[in-house]
Amino acid sequence: MELSWSTFLLEIINFLILVWILKHFLYQPVLDVLARRRAAVEEKISAARHMNEEAEQLRSEYENRLAVWDQERQQAREVLAQELNEERLRRLEALTSALAQEREKTQAKESRQRTKAQHELEHRALLQGAQFATRLLSQAAGPELEARLLTLLLHGLSALSDDQALALKNQRGEGPEVISVVSAYRLSAAQRQALKEALIKVSGLETRVHFEEDAELLAGLRVTIGSWVLYASIKDDLSGFAEFAHVAY
Amino acid sequence: MIRTVFVCGPLSITATVLTTWLIMAVLWLVAWLTARRLSIDPGPLQSAVEGVVSSIEEAVSAVAPQHARRILPLIGTLWIFLVGANLCGLIPGLHSPTRDLSATAALATVVFLSTIWFGVRIQGVKRYLHHYLVPSPILLPFHLLSEVTRTVALAVRLFGNMMSLEMAALLILLVAGFLAPVPILMLHIVEALVQAYIFGMLALIYVAGGIQSQQLREYKRGGPHA
Repeated sequence: MELSWSTFLLEIINFLILVWILKHFLYQPVLDVLARRRAAVEEKISAARHMNEEAEQLRSEYENRLAVWDQERQQAREVLAQELNEERLRRLEALTSALAQEREKTQAKESRQRTKAQHELEHRALLQGAQFATRLLSQAAGPELEARLLTLLLHGLSALSDDQALALKNQRGEGPEVISVVSAYRLSAAQRQALKEALIKVSGLETRVHFEEDAELLAGLRVTIGSWVLYASIKDDLSGFAEFAHVAY
Repeated sequence: MIRTVFVCGPLSITATVLTTWLIMAVLWLVAWLTARRLSIDPGPLQSAVEGVVSSIEEAVSAVAPQHARRILPLIGTLWIFLVGANLCGLIPGLHSPTRDLSATAALATVVFLSTIWFGVRIQGVKRYLHHYLVPSPILLPFHLLSEVTRTVALAVRLFGNMMSLEMAALLILLVAGFLAPVPILMLHIVEALVQAYIFGMLALIYVAGGIQSQQLREYKRGGPHA
């Protein structure tokens, strides 16, 4: 344990030299590198923070834009819904109107068809009735019926008013030479005389009356005075009945 | 007994000086190899060196944050040199320079002078010397005695620990034989690191105390804005 002043002095010098060496070759360069790296890291952090802020700003803008888009979409959806509702109402109204018109047309058509069917049924019923009456009267026709018809004719002729008689005279035209009377059965003399007198009275003519028979009349009479024809037979009545049915429907 | 290798004029070049030059050469080589390849993306060597320098900077900044860059070379060099000097005793044929009282006394003297140097540089001569008179001029002898004794303690503590370690290993080797002092050598590693840390930390505290004692008093007197 001795102190060497030479070593003491050299150690001081050595240490100071070592301080200088390490300061210039180690501390300063390393600290500079650390400072540069720290600056680079801070710059990167700053850049990252800046990017983060930009990203946040972009995110905010996109969120706002999305909100605006949502609002616009909602408005467009409401407008579209309103337009759809209006269009639906308009079409529904048009459809209701069309349906009403179609219903009216259908009802009218059905009414026409129903009326037509009813008319056809009535016409068919009339025809069937006429056929039935023809068949029935054909079987029931006879001199008694004809006498009855003659009586009805005479009663009708006698019941004509003056105006009706004048109308008959005007319609028969120029006075014919003969009055034709066709009956289904042969008339008796009394019947012929009564009829002749009645006809002369109604027509005002003093002409000959020609009587003849036609079995197709079934029963009754047909009197022809010029263009004036009086139908008082079963056949003519049935024909008129059938013709009436045909004309009516 | 420190062996004198050769004499150069009035200077005796001892093994301690030669070992110190060797350590300086190695440290200079490492510093040069590291400094010439420094880059932003560090390699393994640069990462290790940066870790050492960063640790030293943090330790110095924790004690003297305002003057860290100024006193970092002194404290960092103390730590690095003392670790190398303490550990080189483990290499066969070499002895730790710190087992020589001349070397530890030189380092302690450097710390003592550095305390005065940084105090004067930062505070000024008058203000630095004034701190010996506070809180009372009566304490001036005790301040001066404290300066001397702590410097002596700094030198003797390091010298005693390192010399005793080598002595113990030598004695065990002589008594117990080959490989017997291995546990003592492992203890040597721990002790070398601990002593280097203690020496450097005390030096840091002394220097920082010399810088900041006057500042602390002014702060207490004038408030934070003084």
